[in-house]
Amino acid sequence: MGSTLLAFAVLIPWTLAAALALADGRRPSVGWISVAGLGAGFACVLGLTFLVLRDGPVEMVAGGWPEGVGITLRADALGVAFAAVSVGVILVSLVYEVLDGVRSRTFPALVAFMAAGLSGLFLTGDAFNFYVFFEISMTSAYALTGYREKDFQVRAAFIFAVINLLGSVIFLIGVAALYHVTGTLDMETMAERAGRVQPSSIISIAVAVFVAFSLKLGLFPFHFWLPAVYVGSHPPVAAILSGALANIGGYGLLRFGADVLPRELELGTAAVLILGTASIVYGALQAISRRETVEVLAYSAIGQAGYILVALGIGGPVGYTAAVVYAVVNSLNKALLFLAAGARGPLVGAAFAVGAFSVVGVPPAAGFVGKLAMFRASVEAGSVALTALIFVGGALSFVYAFQIYQRVFWTPGRKGEKASPPSVRALILLLAGLVLAAGLWPEPLLALGEAAAGVLVSGP
Amino acid sequence: MILLLSLVIAVVFGSGAFLILQRDLFRVVVGIVLISNAANLFIMAAGLTRGAPPIYPLPDGATVADPLVQAMALTAIVISSSVAALLLSLVYRLYLAHDSVDIEDVSAAEVREAEALERGEDPGREEMPKGAPGDVELREDTR
Repeated sequence: MGSTLLAFAVLIPWTLAAALALADGRRPSVGWISVAGLGAGFACVLGLTFLVLRDGPVEMVAGGWPEGVGITLRADALGVAFAAVSVGVILVSLVYEVLDGVRSRTFPALVAFMAAGLSGLFLTGDAFNFYVFFEISMTSAYALTGYREKDFQVRAAFIFAVINLLGSVIFLIGVAALYHVTGTLDMETMAERAGRVQPSSIISIAVAVFVAFSLKLGLFPFHFWLPAVYVGSHPPVAAILSGALANIGGYGLLRFGADVLPRELELGTAAVLILGTASIVYGALQAISRRETVEVLAYSAIGQAGYILVALGIGGPVGYTAAVVYAVVNSLNKALLFLAAGARGPLVGAAFAVGAFSVVGVPPAAGFVGKLAMFRASVEAGSVALTALIFVGGALSFVYAFQIYQRVFWTPGRKGEKASPPSVRALILLLAGLVLAAGLWPEPLLALGEAAAGVLVSGP
Repeated sequence: MILLLSLVIAVVFGSGAFLILQRDLFRVVVGIVLISNAANLFIMAAGLTRGAPPIYPLPDGATVADPLVQAMALTAIVISSSVAALLLSLVYRLYLAHDSVDIEDVSAAEVREAEALERGEDPGREEMPKGAPGDVELREDTR
């Protein structure tokens, strides 16, 4: 049962994408087929999440090879948590664009490829396979950034592609080096053997992996590409990039940092905490100083990534729980905010306000759960400075969140602006409802976060 | 041998990095291709072993070459060449629009467009609101 679901969670988006590539995505029927297929894939991931939380990790070896020879697919709580939220965000963004009218024939296929890459990436147990899936989702992201083919979008796509390819190459070098020192590509075995390797050789590998994922996540010194790309993208594409694709960075840091290379992560705690702090402060200050909504959100994404890094630096069960919960909540927030910022009309402002509250961490929005987990982690770490930092970060995000709210939704609409179709607004309200629901009933989210942290802490 | 290989990788990677920092977009693409190939070389260097071909049944007592490294390098080559094709198509698209592959020219054309937008000549572009000071700052960020 578990392994069937696992196989289908990867296979469905995959075959769907290949089939959609041949069809004309501008036709509504094709759009709805893609939504149905991706919905089925999402259902598989949700079922898998339920099974993993109840019975523990699910594993299967592709192609019927004996274990240790074939490529393993492995679903543990950490992987399914990220897979569920990423595929969910992609599905919502796809529905948004289908309701709004797809303008390019390749859009549904690219989105399905992205979902295939991401679900494969979060559910694989093999480091090189991770790289391949990662490239699949990145490549579709490059193409998606250029969606609508306006000049500045094509230029944003070019910058995005060049910077992230550089990151991918660095990661590839890291994987090859890990293979060289451990003699395996299976992440579990790799984690076992990494402890016995000479620290001097593995520390540079850890740095390469850290740089690669920070580049994806858009952490402070590696963030320079991010605002241009998010501002240039069409709202659902920005939601996908920020709500789903950026999860690669968070997941990669948790998986390779906390799971495969825990000793090196511990060694680099100070660097991780400092970079996280810098990201939070820099992102928030830049966001306050910007006027354009999407730009504010882009810088806010840099700041929010900093929280995940700080939680990772705190470490331990509480820190990892906070990192996972915060990453999941942040994906939902960003998807909601980018989609709401792209729509106009009655009630969109309300949905945006829910997202803004959530980023700030005001109850009952889901962001409160994330902020609470962060506070718990910082108190557990016994650090006054970190607690103060999270508080200041929250206060700064309050400023920028309501600056944009005031600027966009409290001013009379610009001339010639049409309200978005009611179905689009209903979708955004649904997402806002989900964010509120996750804040009002946080037990499932917390259980997922704790289970994911359990995977990292109990690891070899 | 190790020294020679690492020198070659370093030179290839270094020239790629140099090309990425150029203003000409074609050079940037060539730089990316060079850097990906440095990574492929690195993979080969990381696990290259001499031995019999790893095909069952194995000859008795013989050491076999590691097939995994070659499989990895092959996959990486396919990925990097396809992404290079995508990058080239993006450059071509920019060339068609601006008649130039210099990032300065492309940016300058965009600034002109934004100014035209400010004068209200093209109200169709909703993604870039009028007169937002962020527009110009953004351009400086990405140069």
